[in-house]
Amino acid sequence: MKFKKSLLVGLLLSLSLVLFACSNDEGTSSNGSDGSDGNNGEKVELDFWVFGATNYESLAKKYEEENPNVTIKIRKSELGDHHNSLFTAISSGTGAPDLTMIEVDQLDRFREAQERFTNLYDLGAGDIQDEYLDWKWKVAENESGDFLFGLPTDIGPKAMYYHTGVFENAGLPTDPAEVKEQISSPEAFEEAAAKVKEATGKPMVDSMEMAFRANMDALEVSYFNREGELLIENPDNKVKDAYDFAVQLNEQGYVGSYEMWTPEWATALNKGEFAVEMAPAWLKGYMTENAPEAEGEWRVTTLPEQFAGNWGGSYISIPKETKHAEEVYKFSKWLVNPENQLKSFVESGLFPSTPATYEMEEFTQNSDEYFGGQNTAEVFAEAAQEVTAAYKGPNYVTVNNEVLTALQNVSEGANPEEEWEAAVTRIQDIMKR
Amino acid sequence: MELTRARAKDKAEPKKRKLSESKKDMLSGYLYVAPFFIIFGIIGLYPAIFSIYLAFQKWSGFGEMEYVGMQNFTLVLQDPLFWKSLYNTLIIGVMGTAPQLLVGIILAYFLNLAVIKFTNFFRVTIFMPYITSMVAVALVFGVFFSNNESALANYVIGWFGVDPINWKTSEWGAKIAISLMVFWRWVGYNTIIYLAGLQSIPKDLYEAAKIDGANGVQQFFHITIPLLKPFIVLTVFMSTVGALQLFAEPTVFLGGSAFNRDEAMTVVMYLYRDAFNLNSFGTASATAVLLLIIIVIIASINTWLTSGSKRRKKVRAKHAKG
Amino acid sequence: MPKANKKKFSMKSVPIYAVLILASLLSLFPFYWMFVMATRPSEAYNSIPPAMIPGTKLVENFQNVLDQIPFFQAMWNTFLLCTITTLLVLLISTLAGFAFAKFHFPGKNVLFVSILLTMVIPPQLGLIPQYYLVSELGWLDTLFGAGIVYLLNPLGIFLMRQYVSQSVPDELIEAAKLDGCSNFRIYRSIVLPIIKPAFATLGIIVFTLVWGEFLWQFTVLRSPESYTLQVALASLNESYNMDFGMVLSGVFWATVPLIIIFLMFNKLFISSITEGSVK
Repeated sequence: MKFKKSLLVGLLLSLSLVLFACSNDEGTSSNGSDGSDGNNGEKVELDFWVFGATNYESLAKKYEEENPNVTIKIRKSELGDHHNSLFTAISSGTGAPDLTMIEVDQLDRFREAQERFTNLYDLGAGDIQDEYLDWKWKVAENESGDFLFGLPTDIGPKAMYYHTGVFENAGLPTDPAEVKEQISSPEAFEEAAAKVKEATGKPMVDSMEMAFRANMDALEVSYFNREGELLIENPDNKVKDAYDFAVQLNEQGYVGSYEMWTPEWATALNKGEFAVEMAPAWLKGYMTENAPEAEGEWRVTTLPEQFAGNWGGSYISIPKETKHAEEVYKFSKWLVNPENQLKSFVESGLFPSTPATYEMEEFTQNSDEYFGGQNTAEVFAEAAQEVTAAYKGPNYVTVNNEVLTALQNVSEGANPEEEWEAAVTRIQDIMKR
Repeated sequence: MELTRARAKDKAEPKKRKLSESKKDMLSGYLYVAPFFIIFGIIGLYPAIFSIYLAFQKWSGFGEMEYVGMQNFTLVLQDPLFWKSLYNTLIIGVMGTAPQLLVGIILAYFLNLAVIKFTNFFRVTIFMPYITSMVAVALVFGVFFSNNESALANYVIGWFGVDPINWKTSEWGAKIAISLMVFWRWVGYNTIIYLAGLQSIPKDLYEAAKIDGANGVQQFFHITIPLLKPFIVLTVFMSTVGALQLFAEPTVFLGGSAFNRDEAMTVVMYLYRDAFNLNSFGTASATAVLLLIIIVIIASINTWLTSGSKRRKKVRAKHAKG
Repeated sequence: MPKANKKKFSMKSVPIYAVLILASLLSLFPFYWMFVMATRPSEAYNSIPPAMIPGTKLVENFQNVLDQIPFFQAMWNTFLLCTITTLLVLLISTLAGFAFAKFHFPGKNVLFVSILLTMVIPPQLGLIPQYYLVSELGWLDTLFGAGIVYLLNPLGIFLMRQYVSQSVPDELIEAAKLDGCSNFRIYRSIVLPIIKPAFATLGIIVFTLVWGEFLWQFTVLRSPESYTLQVALASLNESYNMDFGMVLSGVFWATVPLIIIFLMFNKLFISSITEGSVK
């Protein structure tokens, strides 16, 4: 009696488990559905992981139309989630997508797992190298240059956004070309900051992080060398100079306390509470959405070349797990070719990494309502040529955060040298793991 | 009644009982706890063993593991940041959790009072913080406690003549803001557990107490609290574990800079940073093992403190008689 | 104390009402604010002081959500996931809780303590091995894979053990045994009816937990057809151009069903209170 009942419970339980399992059993990853290696004509389904705002869904649809044998399943998520999920899949060696975007700052984290990615040189990527900006391409190579982790998608060359109202009040020029001419060096930048401060009482830059980034993003070598050695205590290392520059601007009152992405920062952008933001093209989209009152107030110009750097951008990589490397490569190559990069730029603001795109009509005739009709794309295209390939290293973000903490404390009144020493100690602790 | 029907049916069937009553109870016992342990065997055991194993390895998440003995533990124990994160966790735990349990009992008691109307409504509203999505909570608390002189929280403390505080980057500002967030989010959760507890108290006890002339306060301290004690022990245990594993609230509150600063870094944030930002799974696992030991110690102390007396048994004995 | 008497308003309860109303206001505010943001354009999020009165974009914001993600499909998946996991957790917990409370078997305490220990592994660290298991078992991208981890719910067993030992008198079980009841019959006919309030409590806790959990579901579920609400909503967050009106609209409408479900559980809660214990 009792056994029968207990058995029933057990059965019910397992039954519900089975039902549960069956309720959604389709749609597992395409991997393994057929073993053939990208035979043309055979049906293939490709899992593609993307993050942020892209137009890759619509491009994929177009590709599917042109290649009826290919289905592309896109999974879109937020930057942090995207990379952690990819890390989990690559680390456990199972469930990775057929192709995936990898953000440039995250790339180094995956370098160690080189054998779990497809070398795109093996698939013929060398043939299209010339179409891409050299520095962008180099970053995706391994140290010896014979392994390519991914094809370049977008880039984030930095330019100077400035508030014309504030500049005008400070007696500075407001025309992009004139501004570029006047603010052509870090010294000139400081002079302008002094004028802004004196005339309007407003800070030149929004935050310590931006003041620090001004030089940091321009560095070819920062915290680490390719061997993973920590360089910040070397006398010729430039990180401390970037730090000192930020500290110096702060001491003179040129730095505000509007931390990026906070509501206060958005309001400050909207009302012109600071004069300059050094950021890539992707800031445009944010400003249009979140600082609508400031329409027509901001312009963009080229930064002094000492500040020229890259911030953001991605690659398309192909994990080794894929069974369709050829098909995947074909699609990736198509996705980031100059024509499609133009589409991505127009539709989603992804700044092209293919110089050929800069010559295209839609690009050169671009004009931004928000920036008073200025063709900002040209400014960024110019900036893109100034960038040099930077090596960051797998722990860049965490190590950099320690310096940012120090800077934050400095802006709250702490002693800059002591904070620097403390940050170096914390960084050395981190490096022991 | 069900029982009589059951009896009739049992009698109708031929007796198959060969086992003694206690043997049968034993088997039922094992059988009934089996589902949990089977699932644990499938999905819980491996991660547990894996984590402990990893604590003695150096592993970046990719490639080969390397046995390093106790090195991960020494690294962690010598890291001032680990101790800072433990200190933070304990402080936030005490500030955010202890008041929560107290207020939870009071609210549950009120909601269980016969004279209070609209309890239905209040029960829903008080449980709302647990339902409200973390995204919304983060935004609301982010605006209220923003790192700015004009933040609403600074406006409020201004009434009491307190100077503005950097809620996200100052030592106590961050802790207080996060404690408030923890308190706000979990008080309703504990309230409804206490409510369930209050309803497990047989009503005739109160009737009897009333006949003996006990007033509301006396009833509260002599019936409600002692009989609620197992639930108090339960929530104290759960909250202790929850507090020591605090992760969601601080990361959401601090947003992008959550792992940069040490004012509100908790132990789980510390190990998360090791694992997912520094690719150092060995030290992360070692931290987890240390945390496990700390949790067991603190939870045992708390549970022992709250369940100290044996009064519960007495009351139940009394109940059995009545 | 709980009595079936008609509720009468008395002056003595005024302070109690004051406390409850204050608690309700504080509890409701973020939810209300989420609603306000869901009815306003994106830049309203950045306005200082923050907007407090609903705007006019209720429909438009939600329409944007529907354009971006398969909202109702995700809601159905979530509902399925939550319902099944909740029912299973209730079954597992009440059975085990009953066993721990009323049966004697060797190793009982060891087993009970080991359940306790399962709670103390930080879930953030178990992620990779658990993912590995689920992937190897072929459960990636299935609701089954997404749901299995929630079945390990020590709180449920604790709560049920406590509740059963306190509110199911031993004499009642003895009597039923003398009547020849099997243990399972006792579970079904005696234990389950008495522990209904705890059922409602645990039910709502588990349901809400699964409804709101993100990290695990995100790790396991890959294709839009199998997305749950949290996973689908997360794809609305973009690092740079976040449309707060749209995001909060999605979050708001994803919360509304949960409130309805809570009200349903609450009914179960109420009915079991007024019924009184089964004796």
